[in-house]
Amino acid sequence: MSVSVVPDSHVPPSSSSDGASWRSSVSFNIRVSEQEQQVSFTGMLRPFVAEHMKAIRSTLETAARNATGELQLDFKRLKYMNSVAFLEINRFIRWVVGVRPGLKIVLIISSVIPWAIRKFQVIAEIYPNVSVVVYDKSLYPIQQVIEDEDFINVLRTQEKIVWEVERKIISRHGLRPGMRVADIACGLGDFVLRVQKEFNPEYIIGVDHSRAFLRHAQSHAKSLGIENIEYQYGDAAALLLPDDSFDFVTCRLALQVFHMPEQMVQELYRICRPGGRVYITNEMMSCVTGYPDQALIRHGYDRFLELSRMVGMDFDIGVRTMKILKNAGLEEIKGDLIGIDNMNSDRAYFAKVVESWIVSSGDVARSAEADPKVHEHIAAGLRAHVEAILGDGGYASWPIYAGSGRKPVRP
Amino acid sequence: MSGSKRSDSALTMRPPPMTAESGLIISTSFSVSGFGKRWTHCHQLANYLARYASANENDPERTSTLLSTFFNELIEAIYRNHARRGLIQITFERRHDKVCVKAEVPVDEESRRFYERTVELAQHPELMRWYRERLEREISEEDAGALGIVELTVVYGAQIAIEHIQRTDVEGSRSLHLWVEFPFAELDEV
Repeated sequence: MSVSVVPDSHVPPSSSSDGASWRSSVSFNIRVSEQEQQVSFTGMLRPFVAEHMKAIRSTLETAARNATGELQLDFKRLKYMNSVAFLEINRFIRWVVGVRPGLKIVLIISSVIPWAIRKFQVIAEIYPNVSVVVYDKSLYPIQQVIEDEDFINVLRTQEKIVWEVERKIISRHGLRPGMRVADIACGLGDFVLRVQKEFNPEYIIGVDHSRAFLRHAQSHAKSLGIENIEYQYGDAAALLLPDDSFDFVTCRLALQVFHMPEQMVQELYRICRPGGRVYITNEMMSCVTGYPDQALIRHGYDRFLELSRMVGMDFDIGVRTMKILKNAGLEEIKGDLIGIDNMNSDRAYFAKVVESWIVSSGDVARSAEADPKVHEHIAAGLRAHVEAILGDGGYASWPIYAGSGRKPVRP
Repeated sequence: MSGSKRSDSALTMRPPPMTAESGLIISTSFSVSGFGKRWTHCHQLANYLARYASANENDPERTSTLLSTFFNELIEAIYRNHARRGLIQITFERRHDKVCVKAEVPVDEESRRFYERTVELAQHPELMRWYRERLEREISEEDAGALGIVELTVVYGAQIAIEHIQRTDVEGSRSLHLWVEFPFAELDEV
């Protein structure tokens, strides 16, 4: 159910006769999911008086009457809210406490909205049946693993060997000088720096949900004397960036670690301008191979794949790239293989990357409480891959699927 | 549900000149009569000024979202409480990890009382208790009017002060200076 708020006759006392002038101060959407017992708010809620929230209040009361056990109020995409709206939400909660004392209210907020935590925390402290959930506290399962300082160095190495191959194909996907570029899940920001250096964009922004990565990205850019890159703390599934605002939107090796890749691609689509292109890259772990000990290597990666899926990641999502782009509504879809192997890459760097996966897969296995044998199999397979990378006469590959599509230009 | 987000933040690679750690960010002056015509002026001004003030920050979007929240409460209070005529002047200054806002607001007797009471409330020795009590039961109209500014203090740690200006304009209306010091640094490391 969707509710749109229509202004009634109440206009600010000092306003002119423009009765709808306050409308954009409550430009937001409210969605009620009876099945999920959730009311979601999006946009901006800055009404002049509480009376302007009559429709919202009525929707909330209906949801509370129908809910059993728990009602969730989802504020994670509400960018602005003034004290008038906050007081009205508080009034609603006080009403629930009176008429439905057994009903729990969960206020879902995002750490991306900087004013929200302190403000809603006060309500949670007042009413025992109200709790606050910061939904993106651990947005993807391996965030803490990859923020480790040692792993950060490996990520830099990984970025380097991937870029050496990727730079040869990225122009085919439409990246040109002078574009407005957004790199979502930018990590350490190395790709953003390289695009800035080699493609001289009109504007470039890197968004990531790791403050640790963003600090690295900012200080690295500063150390190179580069100032015209914007970095933003953000949630890839609910970006604060406006619609239709970028010529080239990238998301590299990131969809595979989120449990809601389709939602992320929708956001990439939304911020891309009509006629612009969305470019994604993802691993295809089912296609990693090596020689000798091919069977052992495959067995290790198959177990790794199973483990990743246990925690909501999919390291084989690359094989679905074309389908994902098509389902998002993109057209003129192009695909390429970023085929990293021990002949086109620095062997020592490649081996270092795979060795780091042995460590990180161990962390993932522990967090998933997997049978220790699972990690033993993974480690054995990945060690054989490292030997294939470094050994004389060995062959080792790491395929990454790069795909892009154009956002349609609608009349 | 539409996830559509229209731009309230112009993306630009042409930020204003680098601001020093301390110094003027932006100063703005507008007539009461023009400002008071539309409620939307409040959030439009708040968003614009916040975006401008954040342009050189490491994460301009995050900083401007926070500052817009702060500025908007102040500007909404001014919208609701001012004399019928005169000029509103707002100056934003950076002082290390704070943004200091000085607002000169033309006031009549009623609006003057509002600001005096609000500042007095914001300096209440047990402000959090006062604030929670206002949330726990139905709030008076008078307190509701002050709550936006009081929240800046009690929830976000802003400092607020008032200074009366002695001079009067030709029609005898007076102005006052409202000083608000907002924290500029990160508030919510989760």
